[in-house]
Amino acid sequence: MKPVFDQDQRYLEAAEAHGGALQRLARAMEAHPERRRDLLQEMHVALWRSLAKFDGRCSLKTWVYRVAHNVASTHVGREVRRNRGLVGEDAIGPVVAADNPVTDYEREDALERLNAWIRALKPADRQVMTLYLEELDAPAIAEITGFTPGAVTTRISRLKARLAEDFRENADV
Amino acid sequence: MSDHDPLRDLWAGQETGNFVMPLEDVRRKARGFQKTIRRRNMTEYAASALVIALFGWTAITVPEPIVRAGCFLIIFGALYICWKLYGLARSASGAEMDAAQNLMTFHRAELLRQRAALASVWRWYLLPFVPGMAVFLGGVSFAPDNPAPLAVKLVIFLFAAMLVAALFYGVWWLNQRAVKALDGEIAALEGAGEDQPVDS
Repeated sequence: MKPVFDQDQRYLEAAEAHGGALQRLARAMEAHPERRRDLLQEMHVALWRSLAKFDGRCSLKTWVYRVAHNVASTHVGREVRRNRGLVGEDAIGPVVAADNPVTDYEREDALERLNAWIRALKPADRQVMTLYLEELDAPAIAEITGFTPGAVTTRISRLKARLAEDFRENADV
Repeated sequence: MSDHDPLRDLWAGQETGNFVMPLEDVRRKARGFQKTIRRRNMTEYAASALVIALFGWTAITVPEPIVRAGCFLIIFGALYICWKLYGLARSASGAEMDAAQNLMTFHRAELLRQRAALASVWRWYLLPFVPGMAVFLGGVSFAPDNPAPLAVKLVIFLFAAMLVAALFYGVWWLNQRAVKALDGEIAALEGAGEDQPVDS
């Protein structure tokens, strides 16, 4: 039963190392708390199932992000078809300036708005942005998404500019 | 991109709680998902079983040979659709196991698989019913024990055939609409991986 042991061990290792990233991804993708928990469970189950086929051709980290993002993307597509769980950009308020001292409440509020902004993005942008926020570099994001590193860099620059603009506009309202 | 970004600090510093899923729960949920897929497939097969039961009963109770022949053809059509559904379900669960492919490859394959199934719906879902429906409606409309004049029988046949054709057209049209939406998604996905800036 060695394969099962390997699968379980790899899952425990992956969940320990990247569980936080999965939670942040689920929060960014799904606003509703119960559906967010369902999504998180779905990611963990898909990860465990997929690890039966883990062949080491990419790092465990890349593998985990690919599985999690594929599950999240399928979930979002399903929710869009059901016409729920979408947050428009009008839900975005001003994010507290990053160089200001912020209270926990303000920080939480800013995070909620950042997540709402991410949820309003197109699927590919949503994936690139969340991976960028997880401190992955362009080649790593390219390996996970299948985009070229150049496309990733361009996309991130554009997204950061749009983020700054959207938040500035909302702050002015 | 390696510059310090305060947004990354905000993101990394968020309170995520302590979500732990014990292995036994993971295995139980994995079995649950399999059950859900089986239940969904069973619902699709049940619709075919209903058609088979209905026309099977008609074939047994109605003495008119042309009507009976139509019923058997419809049953064969329903069995063919079951076989095709089985193939589509197998292909879908195969795609699940490729979950660790990169996002572009995974989603492109998923969208193309869905598109192929929807685009060919007339061939594997509608066409198998056409011979059976034509023979069945013909048998019912032109039954020898029907005293109506031939012109009236023809009008009844054409009216019934038009109703069925309208139903089939509706199914085909809805699926074509879904195909167009998928084409848009596939084009957006293919454009997304290029180096050039992409408009949002």
